[in-house]
Amino acid sequence: MVSRCTCVTISSLLLLGVVLTGCAKRPATTAAAAPAPTGAATTTSGGAPAMAQPTTAAPSGTDTRGGTATPAPTTAAPTTRPEPSQFKPDPALKDVFFDFDKYDIRPSDAKVLDSNASWLKTNANHLILIEGHCDERGTNEYNLALGERRAKSTMNYLVSQGVQASRITIISYGEERPACTEKTEECWAKNRRAHFLVKPR
Amino acid sequence: MSTRRSLVVVLVVALVLPGVWPVAPPPPARAQAVDVFLNVTGGGARKLNIAVPDFTITTGADPIGAGKQLASVAGADLTFSGLFSVVAAQGAIPANSPEALRKSWTEFAAAGAHAGVHGLAALRGDRAEVEMRLYDLTTPDHRLIGTKKWELPTSQLRRLSHKVADEVVLQFTGELGIADTKIAYVVGPAGAKEIVMADYDGAAVTQVTKNGSINLMPVWSPDARSLAFTSYKQGYPDLYRAFPFERRPDQTLAAFVGINSSPAFSPDGKSLAMTLSKDGNPEVYVLNLANGTMRRLTRHAGIDTEPTWAPTGRQIAFISDRTGTPHVYVMDAEGASVRQVTSGGFHTQPRWSPRGDAIAYTQRAGAHDIWVVDVDGSNPRRLTSGGDNQGSTWAPSGRHLAFQSNRLGRWQIFAVLADGTAAAPITRGTTESTSPSWSPRLP
Repeated sequence: MVSRCTCVTISSLLLLGVVLTGCAKRPATTAAAAPAPTGAATTTSGGAPAMAQPTTAAPSGTDTRGGTATPAPTTAAPTTRPEPSQFKPDPALKDVFFDFDKYDIRPSDAKVLDSNASWLKTNANHLILIEGHCDERGTNEYNLALGERRAKSTMNYLVSQGVQASRITIISYGEERPACTEKTEECWAKNRRAHFLVKPR
Repeated sequence: MSTRRSLVVVLVVALVLPGVWPVAPPPPARAQAVDVFLNVTGGGARKLNIAVPDFTITTGADPIGAGKQLASVAGADLTFSGLFSVVAAQGAIPANSPEALRKSWTEFAAAGAHAGVHGLAALRGDRAEVEMRLYDLTTPDHRLIGTKKWELPTSQLRRLSHKVADEVVLQFTGELGIADTKIAYVVGPAGAKEIVMADYDGAAVTQVTKNGSINLMPVWSPDARSLAFTSYKQGYPDLYRAFPFERRPDQTLAAFVGINSSPAFSPDGKSLAMTLSKDGNPEVYVLNLANGTMRRLTRHAGIDTEPTWAPTGRQIAFISDRTGTPHVYVMDAEGASVRQVTSGGFHTQPRWSPRGDAIAYTQRAGAHDIWVVDVDGSNPRRLTSGGDNQGSTWAPSGRHLAFQSNRLGRWQIFAVLADGTAAAPITRGTTESTSPSWSPRLP
């Protein structure tokens, strides 16, 4: 009926003094290389539709249940963002790649971007979607931000080469859309990329 | 009445020690007079031995073995709490037999049990009622400490067990347990992530999103009725709110150009802090959920993201890489009085503890580990080791955290006591399980 599953020690209150202490070790101070804040952070793309200031909409009327529920604010942007699924890759547009935790354009990739820019200027009727991607090693949220920085520094480079900012939309996928899924440096390097898609206007 | 509360005093004394219990219970008045029955285990944990025999079925047939299941789930909850050792038992105590009850408790007491839970279940078709009677087995007359009853649909039998366990924790500590909670998390590989929720122990998994896109970083609202999350279902990373217990469409919370992510409900549920990059780079904003107005809190060229509220609602911690590397910062809820909390290392994913005195975060040093630091930046301590560990979330009591770990292979959700002990997997799924959010206690 009853089985004894643990050893019971009868002790005095004084033995209660063992406190579950958290380990008090200091975190290792790894001096991670600080990415220089390039122009990416200060970019404002003026009248570009993709960067248009959204307005804050009034509470939405979509909640048909109404009544007791929390009011439903819908803070939606105006529909200036083109649907990403309408963009397709073009073999002329090559990916560029980034060092771990970096978002600056490497000299070898600048040549790739020069070539992409020249194609884009020739095909001026195309809108451009730049995807920023990360490898899986960061945390999700930080990688979303890093992916956006990569897309943005790529966009800035193209704009500096004469591609109209108003043609460009950026999107960060963080680590969520890897090109390669093995857990190797070779694979991670392929995932730290900016990828180009286009659609005719 | 002289022995009244003797058992209660024992555990209260054990828990009033610093660093162990979120809300210090009132100090025992007569601690010196109490004999102590403690199960001292190797790790220095002091646990109360509690007997949880199969629940007695008082009404209805029990073809599914509900009596056994109710006891087994409640027993597992009490073990998980870290406060109890469950004394093994077989069979239920017969109903309406004080004699049988006395005999059972006497046997359990002889086997070392300090307390006994007598569960009684009435199964009435699609409704089930459970009563818990908690006894102090250290007293000669097996004093009744307390009783409580609940009724729920029979489909929620596990919740009845969780409620029993939470009530037992309340009786001994003054604070409800956390078994009647949910954990929401993300399942699936990169590119195909959906949000699900499960009981806090990983059982009863149900789907929250099913839109075939990428759904990320669910976060519970303080009333435990809704989840805010980031989804690419409209093409871009936008913020939505799902109502997993209702037939109700998702609300769109923020769909600006750029990133819309990292939602964090204020403790009063009236506001939602979030990260938006609409103004050029990721900044922290607060959305007033009643009128839809948005207030910007941070203004810096670096990444400012991952807001997390102090339980007072008066401060927000967040991540900024304004020094070149991400660290934890704290500001007031208006965005002023910014103060750096952590330095050195590479820190993301801050989570303010429900007790208010500490902030958990993820440190990258090759792999990631979960750390906790006092709000003033002192006493950083590591909670995890082995594999990669990230994405922590506090249980509402502040005594446990859940996080994602790949120490066993694929990503699974783990739970750990706030002192870093007793880490164990919650999920054992065949897909990647990431990004947990521990709900408040269910309403």
